[in-house]
Amino acid sequence: MIETLKDYYSGFAIMNQELTLVLVLIFVLLADLFLGEKGKKNLQFAAIGSFALATISGFTVSFGGSQEAFAGMYVTSDMHVLVKNILNIGTLLVFFFAHYWNKNENRNQSGEFYFLTLSTLLGMYLMVSSGNFILFYIGLETASIPMAALVAFNKKNRDSAEAAAKYILTAAFSSGVMLFGISLIYGSCGSLYFDEVANAFQGLPVQILAMVFFMAGMGFKISLVPFHLWTADTYQGAPTSVTAYLSVMSKGAAAFTFLCILFKAFHNYPEIWQNILWWIIVVTITVGNLFAIRQKNLKRFLAFSSISQAGYIMLGVISGSPLGMTSTVYYIFIYLFTNLAAFGIISNIENQTGKVGMDDYNGLYGTNPKSAFIMTLAMFSLGGIPPFAGFFSKFFIFAAAAEQGQYLLVFIALLNTIISLYYYLLVVKAMFINKSENPIPTIKSDNMSIIGLGICTIGILILGFISPIYEYMTSISFGM
Amino acid sequence: MEFLTAYLTANNIIFFILAAIILVFGFLSVTTTKILRAATYLFFVLFAIAGLYLLLTYEFIAAVQLSVYAGGIVVLLVFAILLVKNLGEETEKVSCQKKLVSAIAAISGVVISLVTLFGFGFQNNESADELTANVNMETIGHTLMGVEKYQYLLPFEAASVFLLACIIGSVVVATNLKKEDKK
Repeated sequence: MIETLKDYYSGFAIMNQELTLVLVLIFVLLADLFLGEKGKKNLQFAAIGSFALATISGFTVSFGGSQEAFAGMYVTSDMHVLVKNILNIGTLLVFFFAHYWNKNENRNQSGEFYFLTLSTLLGMYLMVSSGNFILFYIGLETASIPMAALVAFNKKNRDSAEAAAKYILTAAFSSGVMLFGISLIYGSCGSLYFDEVANAFQGLPVQILAMVFFMAGMGFKISLVPFHLWTADTYQGAPTSVTAYLSVMSKGAAAFTFLCILFKAFHNYPEIWQNILWWIIVVTITVGNLFAIRQKNLKRFLAFSSISQAGYIMLGVISGSPLGMTSTVYYIFIYLFTNLAAFGIISNIENQTGKVGMDDYNGLYGTNPKSAFIMTLAMFSLGGIPPFAGFFSKFFIFAAAAEQGQYLLVFIALLNTIISLYYYLLVVKAMFINKSENPIPTIKSDNMSIIGLGICTIGILILGFISPIYEYMTSISFGM
Repeated sequence: MEFLTAYLTANNIIFFILAAIILVFGFLSVTTTKILRAATYLFFVLFAIAGLYLLLTYEFIAAVQLSVYAGGIVVLLVFAILLVKNLGEETEKVSCQKKLVSAIAAISGVVISLVTLFGFGFQNNESADELTANVNMETIGHTLMGVEKYQYLLPFEAASVFLLACIIGSVVVATNLKKEDKK
């Protein structure tokens, strides 16, 4: 019972990471306000520094078991904490890559960039930790509406505005579909708490319809086929740092939340959503791959590559087991370093030369051997070539699906891996083999990007061999 | 005949009138080619939805619907439309094929939803009156600020951060670049 004020606020006690992030948010907002025009340079250090501290402090949080606050509204466990830490690392890397852009092109609005990015991150936290559809929905919207403003950040480029319009329209539509589904869940189950929904879920037609609507809404956020149509245009038009953020953090958080809700709220009828997911995965991986082959713009190329990667992530979700959760989180973790390395290189080159076409990268090895090398690592890792980290994450996620007897699905996914190797190697071929009349001149990266790329490279090279990470994830994961 | 008189209660008649208004104006609002008219039709839709809430005796939500949606959002919409340059232009005509495909998609969606909804039998739910009888301002206030089960302090707090981010985001989108930056 609630008797004292302390009881009233005790729920906030386990929300360490959220509260830290809110503090960083307020700090960035005030710093932007008081530092003024001259302090723009310091503002960046203040924002990155304070968020780096928050990231480090996130690793000190540990609960042992599962905990809840506000009578089940907010749920957390070591796995949730880990996912938020992974999101933190990714966001910090995006900040490193965005530093140059914020210093030059975006110098007038760098404070807003940090504030909006961090508030979408807060939305993802809430989404990940929600125990109720209402908190989940508010978290989801916090993660997507400010994101549309981020996509529109590049004022000089009309594509950026178009990308934002496409993003917000599809986001609004998918939210509408999802809300309709959630309202049907409330109408037929009488509650919005995941555990109570699970108890009241009897597999009635209306409940299945509600679940399908919910899955469609999530499909938009994770950009699964056939809900992927916004992805390529939005990724292409958005500023590259925002695209990187969108393709890794937004997708990772939504995928983990999707997994949690399917495990918690719909675990009584797994065969229904597993059947739906089966087809979605097959179409997503295949369509993503086939369209990626045809792309000439690298950001568009990575958009389709990320669609097919989302299909692979769903392989862990469909298994519904603790192993599935472990391999999903592990996949997201590896995917983060890999994809951010690729985007880091692209954003570096785009910032200094404005080139993003595949043909522009012809002969990159001759002029920028280090960039070409890191890009190659990223492509190999995305394609799943051993011994890079991407191989291990794919291996575990296939193992999780195969453990549940999804052999045909794993076989199709394997075939698709071969197709994906072809187009990932196209980029490598362009950089190393193709000749070019006027290759990209040798560029000098700024220090922040070098740090970020260094971290990503180390991640790609050695994360696969550090087995304690995977073992730790196994020890804290849970199934249906 | 008996069936008809049992069905034609005042509540039902008002409901059907409101539903007809919502459907007709909703349809007009998405099919018209003039954007200002679309906003006006939308206003009627939102207004009629407030009527539905009143019919359910949700006075508070009806008031919110009127003040926030019908009052605030439509006015904002009209302002936004008037601020945009190309007011007089009509929207592009959509090709017949697109119309056909989207009509098929929309109609099949409606049919599937309706069949499942009627199959579930929401319409026979008698307990709705009991549920709505006790919802007054005090209950709503406690529900929004409480921390127990079925109370929503945390989403309420989260929504405040969300709105702040939205305000800042819209300022970013709306800000004009300074002159020296344009080129």
